[in-house]
Amino acid sequence: MISNIHHSKNGLNIIIVGCGKVGAALVEQLVREGHDITIIDKNPQKIQNYTNLYDIMGIVGNGASYSVQQEAGIENTDLIIAVTGSDELNLLCCTIAKQVGNCSAIARVRSPEYSEESNYLRERLGLAMIINPDLETAKEATHILCLPTALEVNSFAHNQAQLIKIQIPESNFLDNKSIAQISKSLNAKFLICAIERDGKIIIPSGNVTLHKGDKISFAATRRETINFLKQIGFRTNQVKDTMIIGGGKTAFYLAKILINIGISVKIIEQNKERCEELSILLPKATIINGDGTNEELLKEEGISTCKSFIPLTGIDEENIFLTLYASKISNAKVITKINRNAFMNVIDDLNLGSILYPKYITSETIVAYVRAKKNSINNSNIETLYHMFNSQVEAIEFSIYEPSAVTDTEIMNLNLKNNILIAFINRNGVITIPSGQDSIHVGDTVMIVTTHTGFNDIQDILKD
Amino acid sequence: MNTSIIRYILGLVLKMEAALMILPCIVALVYGEYKGLLSYLSVLCICAIIGFISTHKKPESHVFYLKEGCVATSLSWIILSIMGCLPFVITQEIPSFTDALFETISGFTTTGASILSDVESLSYCNIFWRSLTHWIGGMGVLVFLLAIIPLSGGSNFNLMRAESPGPSVGKLVPKIKTTARLLYIIYIGMTFIEIILLIAGQMPIFDAITTSFGTAGTGGFGIKNDSITSYSPYIQWVVTIFMILFGVNFNAYYFMLLKQWKKSLLMEEVRYYFIIIGISTAIIFFNILNLFSNAFDALRHATFQVGSILTTTGFSSVDFDIWPETSKIILVLLMFIGACSGSTGGGIKVSRIMILIKTVVKELNSYIHPRSVRKIKIDGKPVEHDVVRATNVYFITFMVVFAFSVFAISFENIGLVTSFTAVAATINNIGPGLELVGPTQNFSVFGPFSKYVLMFDMLAGRLELFPLLILFHPSALKDMVKKSNNY
Repeated sequence: MISNIHHSKNGLNIIIVGCGKVGAALVEQLVREGHDITIIDKNPQKIQNYTNLYDIMGIVGNGASYSVQQEAGIENTDLIIAVTGSDELNLLCCTIAKQVGNCSAIARVRSPEYSEESNYLRERLGLAMIINPDLETAKEATHILCLPTALEVNSFAHNQAQLIKIQIPESNFLDNKSIAQISKSLNAKFLICAIERDGKIIIPSGNVTLHKGDKISFAATRRETINFLKQIGFRTNQVKDTMIIGGGKTAFYLAKILINIGISVKIIEQNKERCEELSILLPKATIINGDGTNEELLKEEGISTCKSFIPLTGIDEENIFLTLYASKISNAKVITKINRNAFMNVIDDLNLGSILYPKYITSETIVAYVRAKKNSINNSNIETLYHMFNSQVEAIEFSIYEPSAVTDTEIMNLNLKNNILIAFINRNGVITIPSGQDSIHVGDTVMIVTTHTGFNDIQDILKD
Repeated sequence: MNTSIIRYILGLVLKMEAALMILPCIVALVYGEYKGLLSYLSVLCICAIIGFISTHKKPESHVFYLKEGCVATSLSWIILSIMGCLPFVITQEIPSFTDALFETISGFTTTGASILSDVESLSYCNIFWRSLTHWIGGMGVLVFLLAIIPLSGGSNFNLMRAESPGPSVGKLVPKIKTTARLLYIIYIGMTFIEIILLIAGQMPIFDAITTSFGTAGTGGFGIKNDSITSYSPYIQWVVTIFMILFGVNFNAYYFMLLKQWKKSLLMEEVRYYFIIIGISTAIIFFNILNLFSNAFDALRHATFQVGSILTTTGFSSVDFDIWPETSKIILVLLMFIGACSGSTGGGIKVSRIMILIKTVVKELNSYIHPRSVRKIKIDGKPVEHDVVRATNVYFITFMVVFAFSVFAISFENIGLVTSFTAVAATINNIGPGLELVGPTQNFSVFGPFSKYVLMFDMLAGRLELFPLLILFHPSALKDMVKKSNNY
């Protein structure tokens, strides 16, 4: 009787240790997906706040302590996620949990020293995942710098297909054209999956007309992406150089990746010692010691001519002002990192270029894992999951393992729910953007774009 | 204030009441009481209709805060009682609306104070409904709602918090819905066991069910004029044990279900609860020993009465009003202590008393070592300052409400002991007091005004003061007036 109640059908029992920004984002997301969440934090005030806000249980204490974990019910837990501010504590939490309970464990580890060894650590400690928010953010920024005209780049199907977000500039080819017109007049295979206009999300049909200022997301293969962007007059080559303000961990990871793919990097950092450290770690980068918020310094270092500009200071307001300034005096591609997410509406109205929310990048990676785990328990089949447009739209990749109502029927004959698009079908590694005559077969992976949340199975796309 | 969600919750409560009224209808059918059947059916329809109308439109927002939670809870209890008293009036068995309302509030708040001098003259369906109100009120109306309806979201915790007794409300498991279900599973399970044990003691089935309802909710409506007095010693022992068990913090049972015996036995509150029972029983036992022919009777009555008063049930196995002074004083003191938090009992709660006493000890210590730092701990864990503060304020508010109520009913001019114990017995949800409201007497001695004061006390005691008092807060009142204008 009790065990029945403990394992309610859809939810996993999850313990989240540490209620910082990432912890909070995870709680919000995972509660919405119906999991049973217990949070552990040393700060009673935080526990109080979150238990008032969400339907979760809170325990005050040190998450690495055996008795606290016991109190949180570690024996019945499916997954423990340690996202406190301390790498060592996170690893210890997971190690202890692995010994006590029969659960999977995810630890956040930020320090570059451990990060180098994260694979070794993960295997040795038997963890499901070691996540590094700074590294993930840097990777995300790299995607964007490789395709600077895009606002967001998400990869699917082992990087073969992409979901790209762009904003339509004034007097662009797309302005004032309906989607049906566009697909006819362009020689490219793509599918416009979502349109954001005045803060509202539209999952478009063929007769929707695009306007300047709309943000659109489209799905296409890698090659077709370039093809499409070229035809509508967007530049498609990666940036040549970049200027990074602030020499923190994200800046380090980003610089490292960018140098590897041949983009020259300039980092402006205030702290002299950190500059020296960076210059040792990144011999190919130009390290400038100075105040990155100083206008004169920025001009002197050539902000007006740099091709991309990324402020990565720890303060959101500074980052926002810096990108606003940069986009005013130069044509650089700008990326803004925002840690907190208050006043999202206001932020969206500003011209901040691509916006990165490290905590969402982290929480999404974890949520994707949770979904996969839930699926392995519930026999579902989600491969990957992405959130777009402030989590208002989900892009979900399903694997089709067995015949169902969805398979072997022409898509135009499927009775789909509203606001659903089938973005692409991956059949034996070949990506097709489906038309109404195509159908889904067993063995395919299929990507669905939707404003609904909580889909578990491909059959959820059908009307009940 | 999110008034639409309050309307929605009230509608759900009414629908639930309509559903619950099916039970007395069945009883009426079984005993062929067609007048009763008709009156319950008509009230059932009224509840269902109003319920469906007010839940027809979904609330604009499902988010609500403690304020809305408290208002919704208090209003739910009031509406529940008003609708619940109608059958008594319609069947003309309690013709006065005030009396019927008193009886129903006394039922839902698990007080068990009655205005009836002859309970046995009631029809079966009315007796059943009267006892059922105890059972529903015991674990909580909204907790029941939370267990069955799909109100999702963290805000629901505010409903549970407004209704659940104790200084700080915790969950057993992460989800409210599962927590509420677990509580009800334990509650139903224990009620069922008691019914079986009572039937095994040759108690008639109807008596066994209604008595168990009264015990489970720690209510105390007897179905005989002399409460439990005329039943066999075996039955009295069973009732004693179950009264005491229902006064235990339900978390303890949850831990037992999980087979964490150590954890449930180590709960400090439960330990003190049993210590209080042990000591008071011992003193009363020696105090009343000469009144009874043998020691077993004395022990049985002492235990029964201590259990009944401490858990705020209010059954009586004997007229304790004729007991010696010491025993009576102990019982009056026990009235204020009450049961454990997280149980179905009322009173100030053992855990609050623990915090209060520990605060006093801490204060004394600070006289000796003015700079000493010391946190109050319960179960080895430090108690948050907020909880301590809330407990102190609760105690003061309790005293203020208590003093005002005694003053308000003093106009009846029926003696200090009667007035004092009448308020103590209602605000602590016990039932019988001493002298004119003693175990063999009833509350019909009071006038209508005093009855309304006592009704307020019963609700205030059950909802732990603040959810009810917030209804009288100027800004909450203003919000509600605005609501009716917008309607």
